[in-house]
Amino acid sequence: MSNEIEETMKRIQSHKGVVGTIVVNSEGIPIKSTLDNTTTVQYSGLISSLADKARSVVRDLDPSNDLTFLRIRSKKHEIMVAPDKEFILIVIQNPTE
Amino acid sequence: MFSVKMKPAMSDRKAELERKKAKLQALREEKDRRKREKEMKDVEEAANRVESGSDKRDLDEMLRSLGVAPVPDVLSSLSTVNSLTPDQSINYTPDTSLQPNSLHNNVAQVKKKQPVLTVVPVQTTNIQPQEVVVYTRQTQTTASGHERDGIFGSSILSKCYMEDWWRPRKAHATDYYDEYNLNPGLEWEDEFTVLTYDDPQGEDEESSLPHLGGFGSKLPPGILPHGLPQVKEVQPAVTAVEQEQAKQEVKEVRELSEEEKQMIILSEDFQRFVDRAGRVMERALGETVDIYADYSGLGGDEGLDEKSHQRISFNRWFYDERWSKNRCVTSLDWSLQYPELLLSSYNNNDESPNDPDGVALIWNTKYKKTTPEYVFHCQSPVMNAKFARFHPNLVLGGTYSGQIVLWDNRVQKRTPIQRTPLSASAHTHPVYCMHVVGTQNAHNLISISTDGRLCSWSLEMLSQPQETMELQRSQSRSVAVTCLDFPHSDVNNFVVGSEEGAAFSACRHGAKVGVTDTYDGHQGPITGISVNAVQGGIDFSHMFLTSSIDWTIKLWSLKDTKPIYTFEDNGDYVLDVAWSPTHPALFAAVDGGGRLDLWNLNQDTEVPAAGLTVDGNPALNRVSWTPSGLHVTVGDNTGKIWVYDVAENFAHPRHDEWNKFLYTTQELRSNQVDEELEKLNLGISNTPLTSMSSISSSPLR
Repeated sequence: MSNEIEETMKRIQSHKGVVGTIVVNSEGIPIKSTLDNTTTVQYSGLISSLADKARSVVRDLDPSNDLTFLRIRSKKHEIMVAPDKEFILIVIQNPTE
Repeated sequence: MFSVKMKPAMSDRKAELERKKAKLQALREEKDRRKREKEMKDVEEAANRVESGSDKRDLDEMLRSLGVAPVPDVLSSLSTVNSLTPDQSINYTPDTSLQPNSLHNNVAQVKKKQPVLTVVPVQTTNIQPQEVVVYTRQTQTTASGHERDGIFGSSILSKCYMEDWWRPRKAHATDYYDEYNLNPGLEWEDEFTVLTYDDPQGEDEESSLPHLGGFGSKLPPGILPHGLPQVKEVQPAVTAVEQEQAKQEVKEVRELSEEEKQMIILSEDFQRFVDRAGRVMERALGETVDIYADYSGLGGDEGLDEKSHQRISFNRWFYDERWSKNRCVTSLDWSLQYPELLLSSYNNNDESPNDPDGVALIWNTKYKKTTPEYVFHCQSPVMNAKFARFHPNLVLGGTYSGQIVLWDNRVQKRTPIQRTPLSASAHTHPVYCMHVVGTQNAHNLISISTDGRLCSWSLEMLSQPQETMELQRSQSRSVAVTCLDFPHSDVNNFVVGSEEGAAFSACRHGAKVGVTDTYDGHQGPITGISVNAVQGGIDFSHMFLTSSIDWTIKLWSLKDTKPIYTFEDNGDYVLDVAWSPTHPALFAAVDGGGRLDLWNLNQDTEVPAAGLTVDGNPALNRVSWTPSGLHVTVGDNTGKIWVYDVAENFAHPRHDEWNKFLYTTQELRSNQVDEELEKLNLGISNTPLTSMSSISSSPLR
């Protein structure tokens, strides 16, 4: 089964323009990453708190609603965040081909 | 002597006493005189001081204007009064003629009140009422502005912190303005209010100071006595954020050990998460739409125009390095519930014997994601896979072993959740064709194996078929079925293609169960069969096409055992054929040489209306239309599925296409009759002489 996780990670990572893939838990602690340690820790902490904030925004606006996806588009990168109850998948993409 | 001695002693003592008294008296007098002298001096000094401060006459005038009698008058009336009350003494000017006691008092009073007198002219000259108004307006910018307006007139007893603030300010407003007016550009009020609200220190400072104290106490906290605003003090909001940040930094990111990580990775929750999030992420990554497209600049898309002129153009392909490489595509099917989902089944991969032989993949045509949505596999090569039509989550696969397998995309496994038994009661030969027929409430899976056995299954119970039937050509000659198709919404009648080259119509129920008609014509095994399924004014569901290894495609009608027409344009095995789901006269055919042809029988019956050769010339094993009829998908023998766009004006029928097609088929039929007659004629008359009158002469011979 963990093969499939590897497979999925590899598939995403092999996608054109993908710079890094990180899986963090709800506390912002990285579980899997394709980036170096410092960057991973930085992204994990910052993105997980941002995702928490975004989720609370969505829920405050409508308690029956929930956050499903988060895309942060910047000049250099696009950070895509797929949050879940316990984990968050973060993919950093370079949109410019 | 003694008495004499006594006398002088007595007299001496008396004299001494006298002398002492006189001395005391002298001392007392001296003291009094000195005291008087000192008092005199003080009075003089005081008088001089008053006179130097303001002219005596001016003072008298001023006092008179205020309704007070001039100094000499008052003095005369008060000459008998020794001591004056402090209240009254304010109005008196000391005079040298006054008695020492009164003088003393007056001097003290004058000394005390002296600063008050000096302040008065400053007040009258410097207050600017307009400036006060401006000031209050500016402070009204905060929400509590109206409150503050009231404060100016409100009682001192009010306990509001803000009012405490403002009371002293109002009382000494002039002191500020004297200083701040020097620098009118200074907007210190705003900063001042920030301090008032946000700086707790300021509050403490203020409350600790007596309001009636010195100049310093009148200043707001943070403003130094020199009166200039201190910008550096105004940062309470920033410090709050900084504190928060500091708190976050304190929360150290704990790192997990390898074991902990491994524990999480192996947990089911994590796997489910990766499966779900990965799927979403891949779709998101596939979205290559440039949301920053700028049309104001130059750059028209010429490629688009060119494309629209083509009737058929390449869109994309589906291929997976791991799962579809080197595997021949054996079937294609579309989901009823999700028209964008394409199910494809694959044969085994000879180059990787360790991988499962049979694979079925679900692809998504909606997203640009290049990987399969779902991967299923089983032990035997999958010859045919179908969506379970009314169950959006179930996928059925007919395998080479004869088993029918059932996958479910809701469970976290790629292997089948159910499979039919390999027993004589079911299939023991490869299942090349399957079909789900019926309605939502009553539907069956029909499967036929190459030994001619047809089984119908209930999806709820795959342990044994509901009914079985042998398809036999004639006595004990079973039909090796390679392909199957049902007319639209028919559950009883169907057509099959066989290895020996004949097509058969058959029915499941009724008077004559089994094969009803035989359609002989092909010289080789039939590879594909398709019944016209377009709904419209005229029903063409009796028309069907067969493709064969004999390089031809034949058009049939169920009503006629002879083919209506034979398409002989291909130069290779024709491996599959499929009617368009929207256009009655349009069909697609693929061959072993990599050719994809679109035939529009209303336009031309001799050559395809559109066609292309797939890159690399792979053998194209399967062809299928999307439910919309706007795309054709082709599966080849290397594991690639090619998706082609069909131009809309070409794919969508005009309203007269049905009538036209009816006319076309009639024409084809009559042509066929002519041909046959001609053939007959040629077969009978060997000499060219008799060929002219073949029909008339033949009965004579």
